[in-house]
Amino acid sequence: MAEHQTDEAGLHLLAGIDQVVHAPARLMVLTYLYVVESVDFVFLKNVTGLTWGNLSTHLSRLEDAGYVAIEKGFRGKKPHTMIHLTEQGRTAFRHYRESIQRVLDDLPD
Amino acid sequence: MSQGISLKQAEKRVFAATFQDGLWDIFAGCCVLIFAVAPFLTSTVLGDFWSSVVFLPFWAAVCAAIWVIRKRVVAPRIGVVRFGPFRKAKLVRFTTIMLIVNVAGLIIGFLAARSTGRSGWAVATVFGLQVLTIFSVAAFFLDCPRFYLYGGTMALGRLVGEWLYIHLGARHHGFPITFGVAACIMIGVGLIKFALLLRDHPLPDSHASGAEP
Repeated sequence: MAEHQTDEAGLHLLAGIDQVVHAPARLMVLTYLYVVESVDFVFLKNVTGLTWGNLSTHLSRLEDAGYVAIEKGFRGKKPHTMIHLTEQGRTAFRHYRESIQRVLDDLPD
Repeated sequence: MSQGISLKQAEKRVFAATFQDGLWDIFAGCCVLIFAVAPFLTSTVLGDFWSSVVFLPFWAAVCAAIWVIRKRVVAPRIGVVRFGPFRKAKLVRFTTIMLIVNVAGLIIGFLAARSTGRSGWAVATVFGLQVLTIFSVAAFFLDCPRFYLYGGTMALGRLVGEWLYIHLGARHHGFPITFGVAACIMIGVGLIKFALLLRDHPLPDSHASGAEP
């Protein structure tokens, strides 16, 4: 009975997981952004191994959620995009880490 | 594997990515190359003072060239990253410790040379330990293991140089051979890494750049 309740508690936590963060590609992007101050688009593309279009789509999704800020500018004559995690994104990532840890800890072997 | 470990790995991976261009290796190699060439200038056309001064423009030119290459060639290929407070604090600690190690090394080297009457083996050993410490500190703080190898090569090389000087009559305490070899290894590794970077990271074409969000 007690084990059943623990299972349920874990599954309820799972339902509350932030789906914007949970997608593998976005989780990877957020992980890299979490450990730095800011990066440019090229660097993020290289470390994540995502394609231009894929990364662009995921960043747009994260920007819409308010988790990342994208600053467009120019380096010489070429477009240059810097990306950094917003405070909201940092909090969401921390919350996600705690939630997923709790879910995994609560699940029985 | 805990989340904490994977975040550390991610941070290390990001930092390591900035070292894949080989420019630090080329820079260190050029610094070591000075030790290989200096004895020739000191003993021939220039004295102690001018043989030191003549390297300042060389060193400045190397620094300027690396800065330009990093900005014009490397950055467009591997991108730009600004590190967080953890890495910045680590770099501040690295700079402080390097300063202390270098000043302490200079003092200890000076005292060792005076107290042993410039005994070759004593000076070579003290110098070897200094170099090993400096490169080990750099390897640890910069998360760049090959710097341990460079430190070991130079420390051992200095002792080999002294042996060559005593037993085979190599000129200038074997400085040109030992430091020349170490410099060639460093510059060689740097050039290979730089070539690999150019091969693996071609410039993004204008169409792809347009895909930035």
